[in-house]
Amino acid sequence: MHSALKTLLALVLAATPLAVHAEPWTYTDGAGETVTLDAVPQRIIATEDAAAALIPLGIRPVGIIASSQPQDSRALQGLDLTGIEMVGVAYNEVDIEKAAILQPDLVIAEYWPGDREWGGGPAVTGPDGQLRALAPVTGPAQLDSVVGLIEEYEALATSFGADLSTPEIAAAKANFERARDAFSAAAKAKPNMTALAVWPGDDGLWVAAPEGSAELMDLKRWGLGFLKTGLNPDSGYWETISWERSDTYQPDIILIDNRKPTNRASAEAKPTWTAMKAAAAGAIGEWPAYWLRNYTAYAGELDKLTAVVSAADENLTTAQ
Amino acid sequence: MTNVAPTFDARHGAPLLLGLLGLVALVLAIAFLSITVGARPVTLDTVWAALTAYNPDSTDHRIIWELRLPRTVIGLLVGAALGLAGAVLQGATRNPLADPSILGIHAGAALFVVLGVAILGISQLSIYVWLAFAGAGAAMLIVYAVASLGRDGATPIKLALAGAAMTAALQSVISAILLTSPRTLDEVRFWQVGSLAGRNMDIVIQVAPFLAVGIILALASARLLDGLSMGEDVARALGQRIGLSRAIAGLAAVILAGASTAAAGPIAFVGLTMPHVARAITGPNYRWILPYSMLLAPILLLGADILGRILAPPGEVQVGIVTAFLGAPFFIALVRRRKLASL
Repeated sequence: MHSALKTLLALVLAATPLAVHAEPWTYTDGAGETVTLDAVPQRIIATEDAAAALIPLGIRPVGIIASSQPQDSRALQGLDLTGIEMVGVAYNEVDIEKAAILQPDLVIAEYWPGDREWGGGPAVTGPDGQLRALAPVTGPAQLDSVVGLIEEYEALATSFGADLSTPEIAAAKANFERARDAFSAAAKAKPNMTALAVWPGDDGLWVAAPEGSAELMDLKRWGLGFLKTGLNPDSGYWETISWERSDTYQPDIILIDNRKPTNRASAEAKPTWTAMKAAAAGAIGEWPAYWLRNYTAYAGELDKLTAVVSAADENLTTAQ
Repeated sequence: MTNVAPTFDARHGAPLLLGLLGLVALVLAIAFLSITVGARPVTLDTVWAALTAYNPDSTDHRIIWELRLPRTVIGLLVGAALGLAGAVLQGATRNPLADPSILGIHAGAALFVVLGVAILGISQLSIYVWLAFAGAGAAMLIVYAVASLGRDGATPIKLALAGAAMTAALQSVISAILLTSPRTLDEVRFWQVGSLAGRNMDIVIQVAPFLAVGIILALASARLLDGLSMGEDVARALGQRIGLSRAIAGLAAVILAGASTAAAGPIAFVGLTMPHVARAITGPNYRWILPYSMLLAPILLLGADILGRILAPPGEVQVGIVTAFLGAPFFIALVRRRKLASL
């Protein structure tokens, strides 16, 4: 409902390019609040996730707040950050003086409806967050599709005056659509295939419910089957399983959370990792957990997944 | 001061020796349980087969050898170390609430691990061991140095105060790092609660030499602790060198607490409570309190770990959480039942 409204609003704004400069800028964000500015914002501070979405669409923020150094940020990898000030390199922290010097018109973050929180951390972007003293905080909501989120950003970028018809943007989107179709074809060719998304912890194997992750929901929509687990998504999106019971679930392929580069190695070091038939068979892919925000990154991850799905045996385990 | 001179009392010696043998049997029984009971049901036959004719292709066999056996050995070693460290610290500082956390040892170990993760990006448990060890030693040295300032030297009260202040200071630094670095929090969250799971034999091999030295040193310090327990003046009058005695006992405690924290994370309550149980059984003689603590603590620790494995299948509850839940009410009951033996 909101997203439709927002898209409509953005389209209306986008459809009146001549008036944009003179007219006030209005946006209804993921939390349902409307932000109005006297003019289209020029100086934007964005969270790393928002920046990862906006930069490829031609909107360059003046500052970025991230939860790590930019080289450690999965979302920002591969993006040209020259000339953009890092005003935060730790979760829930911002260098407010640096941010003030940038004189931002607007702060773009993401709203997580489940936690009712803004990305970047409560002390930075929350209701009493430090950045709110400099500029309004707004942005789309995290829902159940990364593609949907990217489209929200496209509407937002358009409202900032971005031209989405450039060859680069069109090529990135076309490449994504090719990757998506290839993935979908590979997944649909194996209707019996079941996947399981995990984080290999030292205290146990963490199993994710696809409902808690926008990219897993995308994959599901495009035809990848997920193994049914005992998890009730209403009460949490993770289930911890003792390493002694790592064979509790037997998927045909395992997707390992790739936010931490050493995850696969640490999974393979567990004595009972191969108690999962898919692990023994090497049917292991990467789960780009929570950090995808643009078509180029998405296409890269999808191509890797397509290769894993194509190589895997859909009847490795019988459906439970 | 109700203590008499700490001589070997033949009247109590025989029953106490029997009790000690009983505890050894209990430790063996709990070790047996720890190998046979876990999140995954494995039959006794299979356990026996795994121990006698190991087949690396069998998941059950791998679980016995690579998960439960290291876990049991670590539980026994860490338990013994925590019990001894607690008893030695309580004796050396004459403070009934002394344990590795009150002297800043846990906090020092934790800070070094957190710094290693946050600044150096370390993520292997095998390196945590050395960081924790260095941190424990550094914290103890600083606490001892601070407590030694002034005319009276490192008195029990000053040691406890310096330790508590150190713990508070280090904890706030740790919190500051963890709150601002989710990556570090993710890394150490598991280690910080205290757990016996996810450790392999490499960790055992790394910390075993330290634990062995610490255990020998601690057991050998019984006579010194008995002397200290009579008060500094009496101990001095009996010809004991107070500073040296404390230094030896402190060194034993640092080695034990540092190595056990390195292996299993900071586990609270075991080191605090078990020496009191030991003291309730044996009376004030450290030649009995120390071995009793050394055997009682692993029984609690492994027992709590076994409980944690079967409480929430198919997951597990970390041993640090279980010991806190078991240890706190137990300790309250102990304090309420009788006045804590004056130290």
